[in-house]
Amino acid sequence: MTTTPTTPAAPAGLTPEEQAFVARLRAPITSGNWLRDLNPINTFVLVACLAVVAFALPGFVPSLAVCLAYVVLAALAGVGRRFASTFAKLFLVVGGILFALRAVFLDAGERLLVLGPFTVSTGGLLQALEFSLLVMALCGALTLFFTMTPMKNLMLALEARGVRPTVTYVILASFQAITDLGKSSTTVMNAQRSRGIETEGSLLTRLRSFGPILAPVFLTAMNQTEERALSLDARAFSYSKKHTQLSTLRAVPAGEVALVALAVALATAAVIGRFVL
Amino acid sequence: MPIELTDARFAYPDGTLAVDGVTFTIGDGERVAIVGQNGAGKTTTVKMMNGLLKPTSGGVTVDGADISGRTTASVARDVGYVFQNPDDQIFGSDVQGELEYMPRYHRWDEAKRVERVRRAALMAGIGNFMDLNPNDLPFAIKKFVAIGAILVGECRYVILDEPTAGLDRRGLRLLGRILDQLREEGITVITITHDMRFVAETFDRVIAMAQRRVIADGTVEEVFARDDVVERAKLKRPEISQLARDLGLDAGAVRFDDVLGLLPAGRG
Amino acid sequence: MSLVSLHDVGFTYAYADRPALREVTLEIEPGLLYGVVGANGSGKSTLCSVLRGVIPHFHPGELTGAASIHGTDLLDWDPGELSRSVGYVFQNPFTQISGIKETVFEEIALGLENLRTDPAEIVERVLEVIDRVGIRHLMTKNPNELSGGQRQLVAFAAIVAMDADFVVIDEPTSQLDPETSEKVFSIIAGLKERGTSIVLVEHKIDLMAEYADRLIVMSRGRVLEEGPTREVLVSPSLDEAEVLRPEVTDLALALERRGDPLPRVPITRAEARELLAPRLEEAPDAHRTH
Repeated sequence: MTTTPTTPAAPAGLTPEEQAFVARLRAPITSGNWLRDLNPINTFVLVACLAVVAFALPGFVPSLAVCLAYVVLAALAGVGRRFASTFAKLFLVVGGILFALRAVFLDAGERLLVLGPFTVSTGGLLQALEFSLLVMALCGALTLFFTMTPMKNLMLALEARGVRPTVTYVILASFQAITDLGKSSTTVMNAQRSRGIETEGSLLTRLRSFGPILAPVFLTAMNQTEERALSLDARAFSYSKKHTQLSTLRAVPAGEVALVALAVALATAAVIGRFVL
Repeated sequence: MPIELTDARFAYPDGTLAVDGVTFTIGDGERVAIVGQNGAGKTTTVKMMNGLLKPTSGGVTVDGADISGRTTASVARDVGYVFQNPDDQIFGSDVQGELEYMPRYHRWDEAKRVERVRRAALMAGIGNFMDLNPNDLPFAIKKFVAIGAILVGECRYVILDEPTAGLDRRGLRLLGRILDQLREEGITVITITHDMRFVAETFDRVIAMAQRRVIADGTVEEVFARDDVVERAKLKRPEISQLARDLGLDAGAVRFDDVLGLLPAGRG
Repeated sequence: MSLVSLHDVGFTYAYADRPALREVTLEIEPGLLYGVVGANGSGKSTLCSVLRGVIPHFHPGELTGAASIHGTDLLDWDPGELSRSVGYVFQNPFTQISGIKETVFEEIALGLENLRTDPAEIVERVLEVIDRVGIRHLMTKNPNELSGGQRQLVAFAAIVAMDADFVVIDEPTSQLDPETSEKVFSIIAGLKERGTSIVLVEHKIDLMAEYADRLIVMSRGRVLEEGPTREVLVSPSLDEAEVLRPEVTDLALALERRGDPLPRVPITRAEARELLAPRLEEAPDAHRTH
């Protein structure tokens, strides 16, 4: 009488929002932004190529250019603000410290300022700039990668490449565990304050409260790990080595492959140009 | 001297309102159960009583003095709080150490410490476990260790968060004895609980909360008799009290003995 | 054939000096709801672990006697296969969320992914279960940010979705409010209606009286009694095991002691009302003070 539908019918009684949610789950994952929709492995290769270029080419200009490229890429990927804020903090703290250390200890070229053991020189400044920008180019690659790539997509990509579900589980669960540990320590701290242990005030006071807070947090986490393992087992996690995936990454388009190939070629050329020729 | 909340409101930093203006006074030696659905504001309310949360507006006084300037740890000397999950509180490597921690922390003299610890262990029924590691003990016993650790202090108010959860009949009896002894000593007991049989059999006064406000405050009989309150606070009357209502008996019959007394003899 | 057959089973956890289970002999028949009652530390959870096969596969210790599930010796089961055949829900709502999924929908799908279910079928099954369990409103929420009660409902949905014909449930409501507890019980009742065999540990004896077909009474690692719920609830073994009776049962027993017995001893409120109503009609105004 009726024909079998080729696509699953919309489930009855779902609100339009719920229907859209289910439709999104059924379709390959997309964020609507072509950069963020790159396969996570490809994203990684791309940013790694940029870092390699910064590393291979001499002077501070390539590193600076690569750092700026990250910001542009992040903006194109629609995560410009988030990336810029993290990257700026890294720049100030890590970059700043590295620059300062090099700048006051390296003595090369013309001396600009001598203050006890510290010497600021033109050569030192230049090298400090070069070194700190290079480190920032490397840090930035990782920051950009993790800002652009949802963990879930990365794990899907890894599993597709044969990484065991156990491994991806441990990685994902560790991130959640950090959040949970934070919540648990708040609860424990409240419980201990409620029995008269000062957790506010001087350093000494805080140190005294350290044991009473650390022990329960740690023990709770231990117990939870065991129970988590049990509940994963209840979900038949060990039933089979390979699992199916409700969410899938989209197929990699040819253009993306070409882009990655181009990036790898450029990076290789930079390395060969610097170290071989 | 009482604990007094005056139009106490609490909102989280993100603006979410957790308690929307509660006012009540809990007098010396009272036994008060705060009941209502999860999310009704019960926990936030009691946390304001011991300074864990500072009201966003309104005030809390303990023994007539405002507590807003005191740290939680300082309020805790007057108002003890036993958390629902003993694992959040217990850290000692043996029960003895767990009970002695607070006296040593506050540098009580030895005679007083020994006496308070001995007394608390006896009251909490954990005298046989003093040398054991609390974390090797069953959940119910850990709960009594947590209670014991609060009883060591000289609080005049004790807050118990879901004390009956996970307790068996023996545990319930022991808890009942502890509450009786606290009453004899004139110590005020405040509990948050979903266990209405426990409320009906043990508490004098019930404060029912719903949607972040107090919707009823009265004797156990008064509160359970009001259908609107039971409905709004999503309370579940004790079976025996519900049976009495089903049978059209006195709506104030909430305890086992009350209902038994109301039942007429059968014929033959 | 019995679903589970235990003969003289004992278990001692590694590093424990006393056995947690002793001389347990039980037959669990399919299609029934078995309630397990007993004091704290009487061996209820350990029994669950045996029935679910996490003893001896997960918890180390010494297992004695003979235990078989679906006719196969416990030791011969592949743990993965067992996890598909026997569902398991336990007490702590916070550890029953995987911690790796961003929405409740995907959380429920996890077990099906592990069972290598086809993605299209996963969607259908999850949607069906979400409605059966009544958590459609949570579908798109992050499971790691839910309340304890909500998480417990999600944990149930996740196990229901896996569609095992035998489910072991260990104190599912001890951390929940009454409303959520009732939801949990209606889920359990739904499972039972579909013919799922259930072993349930639960302190709320009123609910046990209403839903359990048979009760297993445990004390100090032993099974004191196993039988139809109605018989067990009036049996002295409950006193020995320090287990509370339903208040209405206690009421009837108190009337008996008063020399004033009801025609039979009720175990649910509905039944007590039915038995007591005629008496009150005979004495219409004596006891209605309001």
